[in-house]
Amino acid sequence: MSHHLFLLSPSDTPLYSLSHQSTKQGASASSPLGANLPTWTTSPFSGRMSALAGAPNTAMQSADLGGGAAGGQDRLNALRMVANASLDVLENVVFRDNGMYLKGVDKFNEWTVSAFVTAGNMKFILLHEGKNDDGIRGFFFEVWELYVKTMANPFHSAHTPIRSPVFDHRVRASAKRYL
Amino acid sequence: MAYTQPHPRQSILSTSSHSSVEHLSPTASSTRFSLPAAPSIHTTLGSSRQTATRVVPNIYDRNLNKARSSEVSASAYAFLFSEIVQYTQKRVSGINDFERRLNTMGYRIGTRILELLIWRNESSSKTPKREIRLLPVLLMIQSQVWKAVFGKAADGLEKSSANVDEYMIIDNDPLLERHISVPRDISQLSCSSFTAGIVEAVLDGLNFPARVTAHNTANAQYPNKVTILIKLEKSVLEREELLK
Repeated sequence: MSHHLFLLSPSDTPLYSLSHQSTKQGASASSPLGANLPTWTTSPFSGRMSALAGAPNTAMQSADLGGGAAGGQDRLNALRMVANASLDVLENVVFRDNGMYLKGVDKFNEWTVSAFVTAGNMKFILLHEGKNDDGIRGFFFEVWELYVKTMANPFHSAHTPIRSPVFDHRVRASAKRYL
Repeated sequence: MAYTQPHPRQSILSTSSHSSVEHLSPTASSTRFSLPAAPSIHTTLGSSRQTATRVVPNIYDRNLNKARSSEVSASAYAFLFSEIVQYTQKRVSGINDFERRLNTMGYRIGTRILELLIWRNESSSKTPKREIRLLPVLLMIQSQVWKAVFGKAADGLEKSSANVDEYMIIDNDPLLERHISVPRDISQLSCSSFTAGIVEAVLDGLNFPARVTAHNTANAQYPNKVTILIKLEKSVLEREELLK
């Protein structure tokens, strides 16, 4: 299963994005770590996993989404579009629901869009396929803390792309743990 | 002298770990031995290697709650702010420009304070909340933001009777201006524009865009009294009406 995280500034500029192949997936070309995992992680879901994973399927999905050739870039662009399209829905929810964690605000084909809105109106948007409420909540909480720390850095200007390698590393580690 | 020293030392070392020392140049070893009071050569070697590879602590390793209750020296605070004002004064053409620049600097602080403050308040809860109504937001600024920045809540929060879109936060003795005396020729200037910037950033962050300005409203009792005037955008009031 793959997850895609996008951090968007209040003016909807993308500041950071991450594509994460869940370790639950098992043998996948893009996730060398998954290949080393014990078999129990994949066996109960093997039927579903094989449907979701694998190159031909990826190509099909990207054709679904982007209507273009089967390229990683095309697929990423399509995902970006899904994430941005959900912003309209999010905008409506944000003024009614005062929670920060807004789960399942939007759906697009197999993707569910969950969001986390910080006090300063930064939006974390996560595209995911399965249901994993607690994991996603935990993940968002860690990204939130990391983001606040980034903001606390006097050398970081607010609402500019986050390029810190430490931030990237930490977000990846927490994605591995929770997703 | 520096070149004659290494040789006897090398002979001492050679009994235990000759090979590890041989590649050290005389200059390197002399800098090593400038470290104070090394009890033995081996510990010196160890510590010098440690300092070379020591990881500089970065902001992501720090606990955000650690400095929660710690305080900053008021004199350091006043000194830094006086430098900010002087720096700004050298680069502006008029009072308006001056206040705008101070406001911009405050804005940078405000965006950070907002995120940090809410994180500290909400991160322990399982369902963190944002403020989406105007009045709780204004109260939060008046009490919590003021407490975080100035160590005490602001003295008042008032609604303008003339204009529905105007609110005022009143500080009788602003910490920022305690050590500032404004020259007579620019007496219009209020250095609390910096504070206004902080307020503006907090409101903006929470989706309440507003124009915030600072005004001196001194009276006999409080010669430093400042009013922070918040003029909300029309969209905010319209949204408030809808949410009622």
